Amino acid sequence: MLIFGLVVAALLGLLYVRLNIETRSLQRYAIGSAVAVAGAAIPTLAMGRCGFAEGTSGVDHLLSLTLMWGAGWIALIALRSFFDRADGKAKESAAMAGEIRTGGYRMGWWVPWVLLSPTLIILIVFLYYPAVQTFTLSTKLTRLGAPKTVDVCFSNFTELLVLNPVKLVAYPLIAVAVIYGARFWMNHSSPGTWSRKGADVASVIGMLSIFVAMFLMFSPGGGGQVDYRDVYVNTLIITLGIVAFGMIGGLAVAYLAFRKIRGGSAYRTLLIWPYAISPAVAGVLFFMIFDPTAGIFTHGMEVVFGIDVPNYRESAVLAQASIILASGWKILGYNILFYLAGLQTVSTDQVEAAVIDGASSWQRFYKIVMPALSPITFFLLVTNLVYAFFEVYATIDFMTKGAPAGKTSIAIYEIIRVGVNNGDLGRGAAQSVLLFAAVIAITLWQFRTTGSKVSYGGA
Amino acid sequence: MKGLLRYLALLAVVMLVAAACSSDDTDSETDTTAAATETTAAATETTEAAPDTTAAPATTAPPTEKIDIDFWVAFSDEARLGFANDRAAEFNEGHPDYNVRVTSFASYNDVFDAAILAVDSGEPPGLIHFFEAATRQALDAVDGDGNPIFKSVTDAIAGRTEILGEPVVLDSVVDAARNYYTVDGSFYSMPWNTSTTVMFNNMDMLNEAGITEPPATWADVETACAAVMALDDAPSGCITWPNHSWFVEQTLGQQGELLGSADNGRSGRATEVYLESAGMMNYLNWWKSLDDAGYYTYTGLQRDWDGTSNAYLAGEVAMLVYSSSDTTFFDTNAEFTNVASFMPSDQDVDYVGNLIGGATIWMLDGMEATTEDGALAFLNFFSNPANAAAWHQLTGYIPITQDAVDLLDSEGWYDESPNSKVASDQLAAAANTPASLGALLGNFVGIRDIITIAIEDILVNDLDVATRMADAQAEAQKSLDEYELLFSG
Repeated sequence: MLIFGLVVAALLGLLYVRLNIETRSLQRYAIGSAVAVAGAAIPTLAMGRCGFAEGTSGVDHLLSLTLMWGAGWIALIALRSFFDRADGKAKESAAMAGEIRTGGYRMGWWVPWVLLSPTLIILIVFLYYPAVQTFTLSTKLTRLGAPKTVDVCFSNFTELLVLNPVKLVAYPLIAVAVIYGARFWMNHSSPGTWSRKGADVASVIGMLSIFVAMFLMFSPGGGGQVDYRDVYVNTLIITLGIVAFGMIGGLAVAYLAFRKIRGGSAYRTLLIWPYAISPAVAGVLFFMIFDPTAGIFTHGMEVVFGIDVPNYRESAVLAQASIILASGWKILGYNILFYLAGLQTVSTDQVEAAVIDGASSWQRFYKIVMPALSPITFFLLVTNLVYAFFEVYATIDFMTKGAPAGKTSIAIYEIIRVGVNNGDLGRGAAQSVLLFAAVIAITLWQFRTTGSKVSYGGA
Repeated sequence: MKGLLRYLALLAVVMLVAAACSSDDTDSETDTTAAATETTAAATETTEAAPDTTAAPATTAPPTEKIDIDFWVAFSDEARLGFANDRAAEFNEGHPDYNVRVTSFASYNDVFDAAILAVDSGEPPGLIHFFEAATRQALDAVDGDGNPIFKSVTDAIAGRTEILGEPVVLDSVVDAARNYYTVDGSFYSMPWNTSTTVMFNNMDMLNEAGITEPPATWADVETACAAVMALDDAPSGCITWPNHSWFVEQTLGQQGELLGSADNGRSGRATEVYLESAGMMNYLNWWKSLDDAGYYTYTGLQRDWDGTSNAYLAGEVAMLVYSSSDTTFFDTNAEFTNVASFMPSDQDVDYVGNLIGGATIWMLDGMEATTEDGALAFLNFFSNPANAAAWHQLTGYIPITQDAVDLLDSEGWYDESPNSKVASDQLAAAANTPASLGALLGNFVGIRDIITIAIEDILVNDLDVATRMADAQAEAQKSLDEYELLFSG
């Protein structure tokens, strides 16, 4: 199986050179293959080929192969930039480097490195080295203060996945096939026809299919496996809820607050305040409002209306809704701030022209204001997603602590619960790697798709 | 004008920097009044309940080199941390060669992790405060070279009856606590805050429902709850307690049921955990039946000490099973007649005994002899009869030594607050068997979490107890297996 992996890596190298390098020669093909094989071999050998050892299952092999080919691919990307430089493809940075050497301020190549070194040292010590340690920890079973650590290869990861390698390969392939199929259909249909409408539906289904594929790839628990599907679904619901509530609410409030009304600037200042508090404080605030015994809201409802408000921690829907409310409220201030700034860039000429042409208020908003706000929206989408993934931990810890029965336990909460509270460093690191990969994938995808739809500048 | 402002700004900055950089240790330079005499005298004096610092004529000059002893405490509230700070200050006055420094941490886990990291980095503290459930973990903890981190206090005292003028109190520690922390025949650490579960009853509400005595058995609880919920102005629930594994362990102790193999880990290492025992099923089924009947109120959070005590004080429940460590708090803050009673037990099973809870002070290994003596002296001073009695009166944790109990008795404290006697009485009534002592398990914190998560699942999602605990059993056994893999052999 290891040989199979290496052979495929070599072929990948050849393919990559064929597709991505302009000037190809036999020598370059050979180098490409060799680099791919080397890149694939390094992590596998570093782990002692444990992914292919005796007693490992199909899923272990699959993860090992994925790791190998991923590492090979990264090595090929590095090789490509090397080839590009050799080809004399002057990139902007190279041109600037040329300027450094010939212009009025002459410096050696090492000067930028020296100037950057303080930042680099801090980044390496506090960010990159711990990241590498996280990756190595994720393959171990260890606790703080234990006399030894046990190497468990991929088992921390396979605990989170469905134990069927065929399914693990099939689901993502099917999702990708659906997406490309929808795109193909879109390109081959003309606008306004039923075919195009079908293609629109298909592309939406394509988007959803990724989420469905991931849902099916995580394990449902039982038999020594972790119920990671539950964590995945909860993360999805809470994250999308926070982002939607935060951004839509933020835009709506900012749009309303942007008009010339008396005391408008005072309102705008007050609306931004939730931004200044920490997520923990937001959690405590909403705890004080909704707590069944001590909460203001519940007590008020009981005394004034005689309604017994149900305990928000006993129902999954209420618990998730309260987390979304508390976190969304906190990030609302941030979104309002940026949207207020963005609304100032909306071209008033266009709006006036639209009014003259008879566009309704909603049409003006949808066709003029929102496209003008697209750079802000894109930025806020990224920031809100990061907030919803990572910083909501404190809010959840104060409000529900993952209740009821884990329904508000999102990915980051599970990581801290397992890795820090429970002391199981290996499993915590493995889930951390998973979350890291997910966030990287989302950010990359965001930049590729939404980034292209952003219109900077004027009409 | 601009020049003047700039000059003033520069002056302000310089002053700020100078103020920040000045040294601020004021304790070692002041004159110390010898208070060593008052500690030993208080043991014989019976007039004062709390030790007062009686200033005797001082004979000290400012010491040159003090031996620092770091005492890491897992309390951060003013009352309990303040107690530790005050005792440390008194000890420092009485022993000018030593400087006990108290550092507070947010939780027991924080203290432990910090201690391990400190040992690894070569600057360990002297004494740390750690809870009972992690006793196995503390015994197994080793530093980078594989040496145990903690040293047995009994071994360190080595039979002395007095250390640096402080009488040794280790021998008079009450049986329940001594037996819990004695492993392999050695009494390892000095218990500080020890409690047990007691039930607090809102007697006004119970009397209104026709119940005159606090319920003692499960059947009594059900009868009382039926009566309370039948009242016109019935509260929203009848009884509550935090969803904490400690209460589960208490009922297992009451029923004489083991939680771990090798006699609850006391005659060897516990390699198996028993989450599906008859006693466990019995208790969980009863708990679920109370919840189904609307008698038990689940506040929604695991380990919700605050929510349950708030519910009791607000009159939303009539009975609260809780830790005796807050007896004084409830006595002070309840606006109704608050009576403490034994934790109810199953009338169909012979009563064996309730366990202790709380925490103990561990001493780190590898200290020099003089430092170690100082640490031991502080430990014995800290729990001398007067201090132990004062600690009990401040909080509700039991007086940890028999001498302290006698002291309080002779002062009539128990006549004033009868609720405070309940915990000590309940522990004294326990049979000294491995089941009633409680378990020593590896990964006990993780296993406790597995139990509370399973219980929350059962209560909130209305699951079948046996099926859910079967899953919990598999998870807990796996966790224990991994612990044993890492820590033994």
